Amino acid sequence: MSSVRKIDAIGKLDGSRQFLDDYSYPDMLHGYIYYSQKDHAIIKSISFPKNFDFSQFVIVFAKDIPGKNIVPEPEQDQLFLAVYEATYYGQPIMGIAHKDKNILQQFVKGIKVEYDELKATTDIKECLENEKNHFGRELTIDHHQESEIAPDWIRQKHVYYTPHQEQAYLEPQGMIAKYDPETKSMFIKGTCQCPYFVKDAVETILGKTVQEVVVETSEGIGGAFGGKEDFPNVIAGITALLSFKSGKAVKIVLDRSDDIQITTKRHPARIEIETFTDPETKEIKKLDIDYRLDAGAFQTLSPVVLSRGVLHSYGGYNIPDVFVQGRLMHSNTPPNGAFRGFGAPQAFSAIEAHIDRIAHKMNQDPYQFRKNNLLRKGDEFPTTQKITEDHLFDCLERAVEISSYQDKLKDFAFWNKKHDNKKGIGIAIGYHGGGYTGNGEKILNSEIKIVIEKDATVKIYVINTDMGQGAHTTLAQMFAEAIGHPFSKTIVQIPNTKKSPDSGPTVASRTIYIIGNLLKKTALALKKEIGFSSLEKYVKENPAEFPKEIHNHFKQDPMVIFDEETYQGIAYKDYSWGVCITEIFFHAETYQIELIKSWNVFDVGRVVNEKIAVGQAEGGILQGLGYGTTEFFYKPGFGRMHGFTDYAMPTTLDLPEMIVEFIHTDETLAKGLGEIPMNFPAASVRNAFHNATGIFIDEYPLTPENVFKNLKSTD
Amino acid sequence: MKFLKPNNLTELFSSLPEISGKKYFLAGGTDINVQIKNGLIPEGTIIYINHLPELNGIRQDENEIFIGALTTYRELLNSNIIKKHLPFLIHSLKNFASPLLTTMSTLGGNIANGSPTNDVSPPLLVLEAELELISQNDSRRIPFQDFYLGYKKFALKENELIKGIWIKQNAAKGYQTFYKKVGSRKTLTIAKVSVAGLKRIDHGQITKIKIAVGSLNEYPRRLFQLENFLIGKDLDTLLEYDISEILKKEITPISDLRSEKEYRFQVCLNLITKFLSLNFVG
Repeated sequence: MSSVRKIDAIGKLDGSRQFLDDYSYPDMLHGYIYYSQKDHAIIKSISFPKNFDFSQFVIVFAKDIPGKNIVPEPEQDQLFLAVYEATYYGQPIMGIAHKDKNILQQFVKGIKVEYDELKATTDIKECLENEKNHFGRELTIDHHQESEIAPDWIRQKHVYYTPHQEQAYLEPQGMIAKYDPETKSMFIKGTCQCPYFVKDAVETILGKTVQEVVVETSEGIGGAFGGKEDFPNVIAGITALLSFKSGKAVKIVLDRSDDIQITTKRHPARIEIETFTDPETKEIKKLDIDYRLDAGAFQTLSPVVLSRGVLHSYGGYNIPDVFVQGRLMHSNTPPNGAFRGFGAPQAFSAIEAHIDRIAHKMNQDPYQFRKNNLLRKGDEFPTTQKITEDHLFDCLERAVEISSYQDKLKDFAFWNKKHDNKKGIGIAIGYHGGGYTGNGEKILNSEIKIVIEKDATVKIYVINTDMGQGAHTTLAQMFAEAIGHPFSKTIVQIPNTKKSPDSGPTVASRTIYIIGNLLKKTALALKKEIGFSSLEKYVKENPAEFPKEIHNHFKQDPMVIFDEETYQGIAYKDYSWGVCITEIFFHAETYQIELIKSWNVFDVGRVVNEKIAVGQAEGGILQGLGYGTTEFFYKPGFGRMHGFTDYAMPTTLDLPEMIVEFIHTDETLAKGLGEIPMNFPAASVRNAFHNATGIFIDEYPLTPENVFKNLKSTD
Repeated sequence: MKFLKPNNLTELFSSLPEISGKKYFLAGGTDINVQIKNGLIPEGTIIYINHLPELNGIRQDENEIFIGALTTYRELLNSNIIKKHLPFLIHSLKNFASPLLTTMSTLGGNIANGSPTNDVSPPLLVLEAELELISQNDSRRIPFQDFYLGYKKFALKENELIKGIWIKQNAAKGYQTFYKKVGSRKTLTIAKVSVAGLKRIDHGQITKIKIAVGSLNEYPRRLFQLENFLIGKDLDTLLEYDISEILKKEITPISDLRSEKEYRFQVCLNLITKFLSLNFVG
């Protein structure tokens, strides 16, 4: 657990690290994505302002696309550029470029589009409640035991709602495309998580007209949180099309306001949960879940979010009879997409809220009730996957211990009797599956490349990006530590599709778990094969063998078999486990929930770099707390937000004191860490609010207005 | 859009009559720059006054403190004069905004921008501040409470601007003070409700009371009807219902992207109740 300093720390402090907008090329044009100003409309006509030299502008429409006007995603239904009809506010209609950014902006302001408006669904509830909005795809996990419902079992059925969430990366979306007409090659530089996805997108939109597409990331990527998994495909496609048409380099960097309005968000969810609990044993006997996501106007990668969502929807409990139905719903809003947690934060926000409802009904404290129903070693998930470790139990016990949860329950009950303000403590637990779902990692077949130079510099070529999460530090560390090489001479190269093999997308908590462990395995194998004690010394003594290039592929355990039809089998080979306990103070005069302290215990296996790991956890917890308390993007009657003026993420002053502890760090395997901290904080706050006031709120976030409305309705 | 940067006040006033169309004074620029970017100021003249020394600085004379219109929030918060005489003002504004904004934005700019949610108005209103307004040949003082006439409507004549703010040194002396801003988070937030108050209680009786609110009307204002009702009352005879009925007449909260009118009303009532140290809640 050595906390090597992040390789990008100094460059980010002194400003030398290059982000996308720091790059420039000779004769480069600036581009803009012109998007629909209507939720659903026929585009009747477009008129351009007259007082400009039109010949200096490059404009691309759908008809200019030489390849296919379809963004390559798991569901291929999204257009790069709208044709005739726009199906959401924010849908790209055309790309425009000019060498002068100011002139471009003025020109864009003068563009007039005439629309014929059509009926649109933009309200989240309207989208999620109406089953007719169903896209058609349905996932079910059927673990019915056909058990008879005993007459004394307690039935509880409730609906939980979770809102959009904005990724709020520091650096907005951006791409540069540079087409060389002579070689018919397209070079793309971008701020993105998945360069091979971008390559695929550019090859799709340009078709056979280009010989070669090379995608490289900028040196620095200023945050992503999932937001730069899917949308970069759209912006890269349009930027490339502009570059192809003009024969010049084109840069598009989204203005923050455009970025917020047209890019993906976390899917809002409606999750209905029905349970039957035996009042004698206080065991949950039967669980039915109806899990719906608002996918937006196109499905894009939502099916994959849905898949992870349903596989996390039943929580960390041993329930004999489980049935889950998952559906994607259509609305006339920008497609929702990837965001840290990928369907799981919605799932845990619902199931963990519901568990507190049952515990309350059973007259048992939320900790005891969880323990009573906990998924233990030897139990199985509804997918029939066996639980092989008792680490969720260990996390729970540890979190309860360090937070003095049980003492606080008693103390607060006493304190609350005498005060208008209230204190509360809440608990939420669960897991996160590492890597791609089901057979995904097998299909990805990730490859890495190592080059050992004559001076014993180890160059690591992977396509996984460092977007601030520290991946390039940790990956280098894993290889260096395994082979016994100086960290300073082990360098992860800037991802480039021509040089770096496809080691898969930088998503799904898979970078350290899949690629890091593969690097480690490769290092150990190399050391064993050559049999040196010091790589540096060996290179010096055997110069003829270097430079040496090594390739390796990730090989999935053959026991990992998942049936994509029935959703039975091993959904994820390794799970990370976690518990979040949060203490709040409720202000009776303002209905505000103040976050006091949050205890978080995780099992992510081996922790490679403790400082980076704690930083990741704290960031995820804060993001989760914001999700639960202040962040919402749409308000009925007032529409969607346009920027950070109203979209309120917590600041450092709003932070509670945070305790992060990792357990079972002596394991050899480093498991997924990126997403799990995000899964539980929202529900822990909601449960703490119930502990404080006796009121259950089933709709997130718990803004003071929401709290006020709920308090009034229970008066 | 035109841009003008006069070298001094004399030059400013002599050039103002020649400018046709709308005039915008840039005094800090933290809001006007956003308005320009969002296309809310399509034409007119931006007059840069940020550098004019006549409008800057914090001074005190025998009884009063003068805060120049171009005083930044940072300067105000760091001022020893303000710290000594008006700690209430410091307390009210300490979580005003980010370091970037407090360094750039000015009190005069904030007041003249006229946002109903501006943070400085409620405390200035209860301190009974006066504004000094200047034009080419004239200078006058008006009570700050008379400055706002409606949403972004001001008691400013053509080519007149705010020179500074006058506050009596002992404006808060002997008073119990209260300030609460409610936003969506602890700082870097636009107020949903803000309440400032000064009170004197003598043997359970309210002898003096000043209450001002922000974000609840088209501009920040004193609640004179409520004050008149409260003055002379014994605290233990007050009823929540009575306060609420007067508030209904004096504030007109709205629902928007940020908050709800019912919430705003109730929180305003709760905060005033808290300020009066009453306890109506069960």
